[in-house]
Amino acid sequence: MPQQTVHKVEVNPQSVRRTNTYWSRMIRQRQLILMSLPMVLYVFLFAYVPIWGWMMAFQQFKPGFSIFEQTWVGFDQFSFLFTDDSFIRVIRNTIAMSVISLVLGFVTAVGLALLLNEIKQTGIKRFIQTISYLPHFLSWVIVTGLVSMALSTDGGIINDVLMKLHIINEPILWLGEGKYFWGIVGLSNVWKEVGWNTIIYLAAITSIDPSQYEAAEVDGAGRFRKIWNVTLPGIRPVIVILLIMNVGWILNGGGFEIQYFLGNGQVLDWSETIDIFVLKYGLKIGNYSLGVAAGIFKTLVSIVLLYCANIIAKRLGEERII
Amino acid sequence: MGVRIRKAVLVPLMLILALSLVVSACSENGNNSGNASSSSNEDKVEQFTITLFTESTGPIPTEDNRVYKEIEEKLGVTLKEEYLVGDLEQKLGVMIAGGDYPDLITADTKLTAAGAVIPLEDLIEEHAPNLKKHYGKVWNQLKDSADGHIYWLPNYGVYQGEFKPTDYQGPAFYIQKAVLKEYGYPEIKTLDDYFKLIEDYAAKYPEIDGQPTIGFSSLAFDWRDWGLRNAPQHLAGHPNDGGVLVDPDTNVATLYSATDVAKPYYNKLNDVNAKGLMDKEAFAQNYDQYLAKLSSGRVLGMFDQRWNFVQARDSLITQGKSERTYVGFPLVYEEGIQDYYLDRPVINLGNGVGITVDAEDPVRIIKFLDTLMSEEWQKRFAWGVEGEDYLVGDDGLYYRTPEMRKQQDDVTWKQANKAEALYGQLPKLEGNYPDGNADSAGNQPEEFFANLKDIDKEVMNAYGHKTWTDFFSSPPDNRVSYPAWNIDLIEGSEAKVANQKMKDLDFKYLPRAILSEPGEFDTVWSEYVEEMGKVNTEAYLDRLNEQLKWRVDSWSSN
Repeated sequence: MPQQTVHKVEVNPQSVRRTNTYWSRMIRQRQLILMSLPMVLYVFLFAYVPIWGWMMAFQQFKPGFSIFEQTWVGFDQFSFLFTDDSFIRVIRNTIAMSVISLVLGFVTAVGLALLLNEIKQTGIKRFIQTISYLPHFLSWVIVTGLVSMALSTDGGIINDVLMKLHIINEPILWLGEGKYFWGIVGLSNVWKEVGWNTIIYLAAITSIDPSQYEAAEVDGAGRFRKIWNVTLPGIRPVIVILLIMNVGWILNGGGFEIQYFLGNGQVLDWSETIDIFVLKYGLKIGNYSLGVAAGIFKTLVSIVLLYCANIIAKRLGEERII
Repeated sequence: MGVRIRKAVLVPLMLILALSLVVSACSENGNNSGNASSSSNEDKVEQFTITLFTESTGPIPTEDNRVYKEIEEKLGVTLKEEYLVGDLEQKLGVMIAGGDYPDLITADTKLTAAGAVIPLEDLIEEHAPNLKKHYGKVWNQLKDSADGHIYWLPNYGVYQGEFKPTDYQGPAFYIQKAVLKEYGYPEIKTLDDYFKLIEDYAAKYPEIDGQPTIGFSSLAFDWRDWGLRNAPQHLAGHPNDGGVLVDPDTNVATLYSATDVAKPYYNKLNDVNAKGLMDKEAFAQNYDQYLAKLSSGRVLGMFDQRWNFVQARDSLITQGKSERTYVGFPLVYEEGIQDYYLDRPVINLGNGVGITVDAEDPVRIIKFLDTLMSEEWQKRFAWGVEGEDYLVGDDGLYYRTPEMRKQQDDVTWKQANKAEALYGQLPKLEGNYPDGNADSAGNQPEEFFANLKDIDKEVMNAYGHKTWTDFFSSPPDNRVSYPAWNIDLIEGSEAKVANQKMKDLDFKYLPRAILSEPGEFDTVWSEYVEEMGKVNTEAYLDRLNEQLKWRVDSWSSN
């Protein structure tokens, strides 16, 4: 490793020596630094430079004029956000739907990956995998169209089947009652994304050393024992890392499109997320500053959540990403 | 070592990458500024390119469209059009954020607020006699209430000659012609008459074409909110002012949602629902589902504006189910209230096009628009070419042969031979030309009658009417400040926030009230009224009243 030669000059003060090491190491790693430069530039340009636009949140921004020609309003936008009755409800909806989708998404994806892994015939396995991840490529407009058709009171398949099975007597207006909305969103998310999310776990599973399975077998472990004691621990790091990354997205992950397309006035109390709120009260009525204020709020909460998840992962003795 | 070699390759590679990014960014700019000024002197007329973005989504003309070719040959103008894909507000937001506009742009309050368009009054005075003549009568109304400049050229609502509409496109309670026929074309005046017919018919025919009959439907989706919100003002005998009732004498606006003006209507719908006639999905469905439902021919009636469901009507006709198409009736709460559904044409303020700050030669653009306003070009757009698209009768009136009419219904043909999307957005002559012909075939009485189906003629005869507008009371002169719905509430203002909140509450509580058990209606209603009380409706009304007053002050002198 690096510092061998410099140590000989003992008269040099501490600081100079450190600078020397630092620079010489930089010079030695110049190819690596050069290689990472574009990525650093990219992140700087697209993740840090736009932050100066946060100024807008403290202005009454009028588009078409430069940011220096605007009127400053201090924390007016934030106080509008936090004093509005519906904002608390909107946060609740966002978090609830995010958590539901996150938990359901994880459990089903890991579950399906484990099941698929047990299928020995590659043909069938590939077939199931392909079918389950194809919906990922449909856009939400189409998926929500399918969902609302399936849930229709007027010949929708869900109501039809439930009626034929005599579980219900008359069709249920699924999309007209708020209490069903979160569940519908969660399940639609699962339907669309489960196959896709499985891919990464399947990949992780293939990297598990087969000798572990053999050892478990020698010890007399059956199928379920092997899943529980070999496969799951084997993909635990992947699960934790994905979880941390997703927690950071909780305020965004609640989504926009699905609620926007599936929601209607009657279920507004359950369907409106932060993004929809911002669209309605910020962008649609021309109050861009409100959108920025909400964006800042979301970013701050996301950073806090991300650190929390990271600390928890550390406590659990797992990998961390920060 | 491998590292050495890689390094040697890597550095130049990265340089090339970085350079190429810079170069491509620059060259793109170069292209943009270059193409506008490309002109060749050999042409008789100097070629000129005008870029245009409108709110229109189509029909998108083909490359070799006849009309565009003529414009290019005769006027030397190449039109580069961009059609709307997706959300207009979003698209405009992006344009404003980038500060990059086409020469001609669709009217929107966002653009005026952003200073994206130039004042047109001097340009019109100096260079555009046709436009000046066209808008002369309504000149003051075109002016922006904030600074007195004219930014937009409205696309509809300025009539020449006598105003004689044959078709009705506005709001009404629509009912299937088959229902009317079944009961011998009875007079329908009130909600009770209307729902009685629907109830009887639905009881007699629980299924239509094998699917369950739907008594009454409506729509509350996105900006298409009138199906749910607007009916009470009409029932109470007021014209369409959007969310308010305006007293014609004092010119003061009041809200009607969550008041006793609105309550009887929703109470009635609650009854209708209890009888199983209300479409339970009405307010949870999207626009496509709504159209699909109407197109199946099993919805007996709805409250809507006709242009909103015209696609369903066309589909019904194509399926050969003309008797399942609809007639509109101007229902009122009780007999004695004069219906005011049909209004005199109002100028379509806040719509049409304007010239942006990015346009290099506004004078040429306004001259171009002025040329298109000439009778010759207006007829070219509306009627087509004589001998090909229409014939001239001995009396000088234009008419079409059945083949020509059929052609006009063919979407593909229209894409190659008409410029409907463009014509729809530009200023246009409406009413009658000086020679007595109507502005379009649809409004030429002879053409209108020739296009009626058998069932239509039967309905007309039974009620003793000649056109669809005859079903409505003939409207008085418009209030000077009419209509209130096109008042600019100002981006980001309190008034606009209040407006959005009121809409949210309507969307949430009205369906709930309609679909609740009859015993619970009053509870839901009072909760709704209470919630509405919390909204800053004053801000909304203040803005409207201020503008209504401003209109009376500055428009009366016209």
